[in-house]
This record gives sequence, structure tokens and C-alpha cells, in this order.
Amino acid sequence: MSLHYGDPQIAIGIVFAVLALLLACAFVVIGIQAGTEVGFQRVHEVAYWLRKRWLALLLVIGVLVVGISLFDLPYAGGGAASRTVVKVTGGQFFWSLVPDSVPAGTKVRFNVTSIDVNHGFGLYDPHGHLIGSVQAMPGYHNLLDLTLSEAGVYRIRCLELCGLNHSTMQNTFTVTAH
Amino acid sequence: MESATTAAPSHVLHPRAAAFTADARSIERRIGLLFALSGLALVLLMGVLGIVMRLTQATVISLSPGWFYRILTLHGAGMITGTLLVMMGALWYVLHQTVPLRVGRTLAAYGLIVTGALCVLIATLVGGFGAGWTFLPPLPFYPAGQWSVWSESLFFTGLLLVGGGFTVYCLDVLEQTTTRYGGLVRTLGWEFLRGREETAPPPQAIAATVVAIDGLLSMAAGTAIVVGLLGRTYDHTVGIDALVAKNLVYFFGHSIANLVIYLAAGAIYVLIPRYAGRPYETTKVFVAGWAGSLLFIATAYSHHLYMDFVQPTWAEIGSEIASYGALIPVAVITIYSMTMLVWGSRYRWTLASLLFYVGLAGWAIGGVGAVIDSIIPINFRLHNTDWVVAHFHTYLILCVVVWCFAFLAHLLERNADRTVSAAGRAWTISLILVGGYGLTGTWFLAGVLGIPRRYAIQPPGTTGYSLAGSIFALLLALGFLFLCLQLVPLAREAWERRHYELVERRDTWTGSRYQARVSRGPDESAALKKPADAGVPLATPAQLALGAALCVVGLAAFFPQVVDASEASIRYHHLDHAGHFFLGAMLGLLLGSLPALSNRLGQRPTLGLVAAIGAPTLMMLVMVPRFYEPLERHPFEHALYHLAMAVFGLATGLGATRLGRVTGRLAVFLAVGMTVMFAAAMK
Repeated sequence: MSLHYGDPQIAIGIVFAVLALLLACAFVVIGIQAGTEVGFQRVHEVAYWLRKRWLALLLVIGVLVVGISLFDLPYAGGGAASRTVVKVTGGQFFWSLVPDSVPAGTKVRFNVTSIDVNHGFGLYDPHGHLIGSVQAMPGYHNLLDLTLSEAGVYRIRCLELCGLNHSTMQNTFTVTAH
Repeated sequence: MESATTAAPSHVLHPRAAAFTADARSIERRIGLLFALSGLALVLLMGVLGIVMRLTQATVISLSPGWFYRILTLHGAGMITGTLLVMMGALWYVLHQTVPLRVGRTLAAYGLIVTGALCVLIATLVGGFGAGWTFLPPLPFYPAGQWSVWSESLFFTGLLLVGGGFTVYCLDVLEQTTTRYGGLVRTLGWEFLRGREETAPPPQAIAATVVAIDGLLSMAAGTAIVVGLLGRTYDHTVGIDALVAKNLVYFFGHSIANLVIYLAAGAIYVLIPRYAGRPYETTKVFVAGWAGSLLFIATAYSHHLYMDFVQPTWAEIGSEIASYGALIPVAVITIYSMTMLVWGSRYRWTLASLLFYVGLAGWAIGGVGAVIDSIIPINFRLHNTDWVVAHFHTYLILCVVVWCFAFLAHLLERNADRTVSAAGRAWTISLILVGGYGLTGTWFLAGVLGIPRRYAIQPPGTTGYSLAGSIFALLLALGFLFLCLQLVPLAREAWERRHYELVERRDTWTGSRYQARVSRGPDESAALKKPADAGVPLATPAQLALGAALCVVGLAAFFPQVVDASEASIRYHHLDHAGHFFLGAMLGLLLGSLPALSNRLGQRPTLGLVAAIGAPTLMMLVMVPRFYEPLERHPFEHALYHLAMAVFGLATGLGATRLGRVTGRLAVFLAVGMTVMFAAAMK
């Protein structure tokens, strides 16, 4: 299974590329204007007027971004009654999943821990899209709730440096068709 | 901007800059050059290691995973240390013009940091330590056959020395700025903000004070966890709480990496105006912005723990707000205001000023990548992928490293009184921009693709990104090489002009005139006055009474009921030790602040500094079960051990009283905080 760009990630990448390009253009324009002579008093007046709006814009974006993000937090809430619990244990350098398969459409609660060092439980869907991650920590259990609708073989890769064979620490998790 | 004397006309600075730019003193140039050259040597070496890793990921060269991870560890620690050194020197260079920083302490900080870097170098390359520069506990103790105990110990010792060096630097900056500007509130400009004062300290002083406070807070956390891990190397019964340890590691690691750029910000407030010919002055918006930064720098670190779901959700959301909040002062009062200075200024384009300008863009673009990643649902899909590598390399390479070179170029250009050719500048910048953004661009793409970071072996089918990244990395290296080649003749000319001058002479035999090359006389620029007496931490009767009251509170740690209850776990036991330390520290602070004893102790700032840093560190080093458990069977020796904890505190408190009012109080607060954090990380 190879990796592929996931839809949310592509959107994130495009937003970043557009913003980076806009910033680059702004710096080119300012760099060109730097060679001209404009009275500092005039620069002050215009730039301070603009700075207030710039600050207001950043604050509005901040409130919106943080506010919207609160509706999509990945942290598990509520009991596990309606969920199939999959016990995930990480260790140098393996992943153990019990059970290691569920039917498609199952609401899964991954109960993730580690027996030695910190590991990162990164879950890739059958198309190779990274659909989420959670840390595996010794002495703690992190709960990750996901609904796995698509049948196929999911891959788990380690996303936290855990030693010599970190890059080969993988396993699979199967979602079977009804 | 304050300056006693203005600079002579310069061919590299803006003509208007002479009105607000003082000639650098000899000591400022020397410290600046020492830090810049040492730091850049380290940065260049680490850059080569970076290329080696990228080529390994591209399978162009073959490096075993063991070597990959030891190089990865060294690359991270070395880059942070190298850039930290340069930026410490840059801020010192601009701050010393108005604040009498101590040269001895600065050189001590330099010595500690360089020694620490050597320790890390040996621990990784010789000892094989490869747990990453973030050494997430308990990974250092699970070496998978790759490193031994001595290399763990040496790595931690190296980090302690680097952290200790930065602590010395921050303590001196804080002590001198708060003494120079009359207390912490005035130094931060808050009296000016509230309209109680007409003027505020210059921007670099406010920035330096904020960096010093946040630096001390994060170094305290770093010392607590690193000493704890060092203790674990010689006492395997010590258990580490993975979550608390991770908080401390990132509070230390994220903050020190972050503070490098804030150190740089303090320097550019002085350096960019020299090319724009417009001084950058403290405004109320500026003061408010840096007050925000003071808070946000200290709280944003927790975004590294978004995927640790056991971290309280309020802390995760708080960190998201802090991470976004940190953007606002940077975007509004640093980057925006700097472009405002540049706009329509007939900016004087030299090698240094061009690099400073390009660095602003690197900070802005890298910052956007960082802020996107700091949104929790997005981080859920990008956490520990190459996106992280992309955004921090954007602002570290294309801002911090570029500014490191800009600072060196500024020093050399001012001394040589010339810049390099326009063609040379164009080639340098083109290679750096194409190579730099190309390299980080491949990481951004790899992050979107979900490629995990820190993989010695890339997932199948993805090595093409590493190959493209390697090509861009080589272009970037070519750009920096070209830059260095241009700096060499500039340095030679700067040296000549600084040490020799041409004078008109007449041959007494023939009567003909000629120009002779003679050594320049000693630097005659006036040194700043020695620091004034910074006072004692507890100066008024009310403060002394409060100190006495806190001593009484600290006595509780010796109550038999408390001592017995603390036996429940190592964590509680260590908290009790922290209580003993607290009692001693408060007693030391109280006694050292009493006029009679304070006068007898004299100024002794160096001894005070050594005691305030050394005593709590030693106390934590001996706070391991291996040492105190055998004593528990002997009540008298056990009581003596507890008393020793209080004596360490006493030494800390007494030492802190020699550091002045503000720094002394903060030193005690941090020392006690360290012992509490140390206890919390154990189990």
C-alpha cells in the first residue's frame, strides 16, 4: 500500500500555498517600494490606519478558526457502550491490535498505550490517506474514536521517534465488508 | 533610541541612520563576532549533516538507521545551539549600547554553551546516542543496543550546560535591564502603557527582558527534567511519568527553539532601521504586543501534546489559543512594522540588509505553516508528518539562519565600510531562495501526503520527494557557500580597517610624501557605567514579614505527619524534599535581604549566580532513592539528609539576594519551581 494525498490535506496545502504566495507577492512589492522616497509622516498615517484593520482581521480570523475547530476536536467523549473497543499496544518495534479486524461501519474506540517508550499511532486508510493519529504512551491510555466505513486493509505507522526501527514499525488493521 | 554619540558617516548604512546609530564599542564588536562566528560554524556543520540525512532518505547514500538517528539528534541539538549562540550575540551587540551587560557573565555563558555542544557532539557521534534532540522520556533508557549509559549521561550533561549557559545570559540581561530602567514593570513598558510615564525603554530592551523571563522559565523546566533523567541513569528505580515529562521536555525544547527567533527580533528592531534611516520607537501597541508574547511564548508549547489525549482538553484548547495568539504580535508589531519602516525609505540595499529583509518573509511564510498546524483538527492529520519539518525549517533556515548571516555581514560591512557587489548579492539570494523554498516545499508536499517525519527509511514510493529535496538542499548549500566566499574578503578588509589606518608621512631624507600603514590606537569609546546596586529581593518591612511568614509555612515540610505521608510514593517524597528546599530558600532570601547581613555579604554577584543555579541543581542530583533510601533506616542520618535539602535552599536564597530585586525573586521562584517540577515528573 502506498501513500496518497488525503482530501482534507490537499485543502490545507492549497490554503497554505495561496497564503504563502500572497505573502511572497507582498514582500516583493514592499521590496520594490523600498527604493522610493515617501515621507515617514505619510507612511505613519497610512500604515497605522492599515495596522488597526490588520489587527482586527487577524483577531476575527482567530476567533473563527479557534471557534470552528472546537466542533471538530478528535478527543473521545462519552462511554464506550456503543463502540467496539480495539486494544492497541505499541512496543519497540511492533503494534498489537486486539481485535485486528472489524466489520465496515463499526464505531471503533482505539484504546492506545505503550509498553516501553512513546510511539505515535498513525492510521492510514486503504487508499493510503492519513486519517488520524494519537500517541501511545507508557502508563497512559489514549482513546481515539473513529467510524471506519470503508472496507479494506488499514495500515498503522509509528509517528513518534521510538528508536532504531522507528520507520519500519507498522501493522495492519482489517475492516471487512458486510 | 538612546545613544550617547552618533556614528561617523557610513557607506553601508542609510545616511539618516547616523542620527540615531552609535558607533559600536570594541567589546560589542568582539562579543558579536565571537558568538556569530562560533554559532555559524556550528550551523554550517549541522547543515552538512542535514544534507546527509536528506540524501539518505533519497537512497542516494546509504546510512544505517543507527547512524541516521544519531545524526538526527546531533543536527537538531546543534542547530538550536548554533543559532541560539548567534542570536544571543546579536541581541547583546545591540543591547549593550544602552544596558551595561556584564562581559564576564556573557563569556561564562559562551563557555558553558560551547562545552555543552561538545558534550552532545561526543555523546552522539562517539557514544551513538540517537533518541532525538527532544529525547522524549523514557526513550533514552531504551537504546535498542545503540548507545550506552555514559553517552546518555553525557548528552544530558551537554543539555544542562547549554541550558545553564542560556540561564546565565538571561539572568544577566534581566538583572541589568531591570536595574537600568527601574524595575520590571517599567522595563516592560507597562507604566508607559498605563500612561503613568512619558517614555518607555527602547524596543530591544523590552524584547530582551521578555526573552530573559521566558528563557528562565523554560530553562527551569528543562533543568528539572534533564536532572531527573540524569538521576535515572545512575538509579534505575526512578520512574518517569511520561505525560509530565513530555510537558517539561516540550516546555524546554519548544521554548528555546522559539526564543531564538525572539532574540533575533530584539536585534532587528535596531539593525533594520539602520538601513531604512528611520528609528524604530517603542509605542503602546508595541508594549502591549510584547506583553502578549510574554504569555504566549510560555504557553504555546503544549501544541506538541495535541495527540496526547490524556492531556486535559482545556490545556489543549488553551494551547491552540496561545499558538494563534503568538502570531498576532509577530504579525502586527514586528513583521508589519518592519515593512512599514522599509516602505518608501530609500532602503540601503547591502548584503546584510537584503538578508534581513528576506528573513522577514521567511518568518511570515513559515509562521503561516506553523499556525495552520496548530489548529487541533488539522494537527490530527498532520501531526509528526513532514509538514512539521517543513514549517519549522522555513522559519529556521529562511529567517533565523539567514539572519545569523545577516548579523555577521552587518558587523563586517560596518567595519569594512563597504558591501559586496550587486551581482554577488543577487546570486546569493537567488540560490538561497530557490534552494530554501524548494527544500521546504518538498517537505510541505510530503506532509500533505502523510509521510511521517524522522524516518530513516522512507515509505515505499516516496523517495522522489527526498531526492527533489536533496537537490534543492544542495542549491541552498551552494548559496550559503557563495555567501561565505563573499564574506571572507569583507572580513579581511574589516580586519585591516579596524587594526590599521593609512596616515600621511613625509620622508625626512627625500622630503617626499607617502602613505604609511600604522596600527590604530586603543578603542576610546566610553564604556557604560558599571551596573548600579540592584537592591535586595525583600526591601521593605512588609516584604520581610512576608518572607518570614513563608518560612513558617515551609516548616510544615518537617512535620512528622507530613514526612510520614510523603512515603506514599516517590513523587510525594520528592515533593516533601521540595518543601524542605522551599523553607531553606525563603530563609536565605530573608536573611540575605536583612540590611546587616546584606552589607556583610557585599555585592558578590558571581558567587550569588553560582549559588542560585548550582545549589538547586545539586539538590536535585542527589535526590534519588539510591541515595536517600538507605538513610531511611537511620533516623538521625535521614533527618540530616532532609536538613541538607534545606541547606541547598538556604544557599540558593542567599545567592539570589546578590542578584538584585527582580532577578533575585525570580531566581528563588524558579529554583523552588524546579524542585516541584522535578518531583512531579517522578513516580
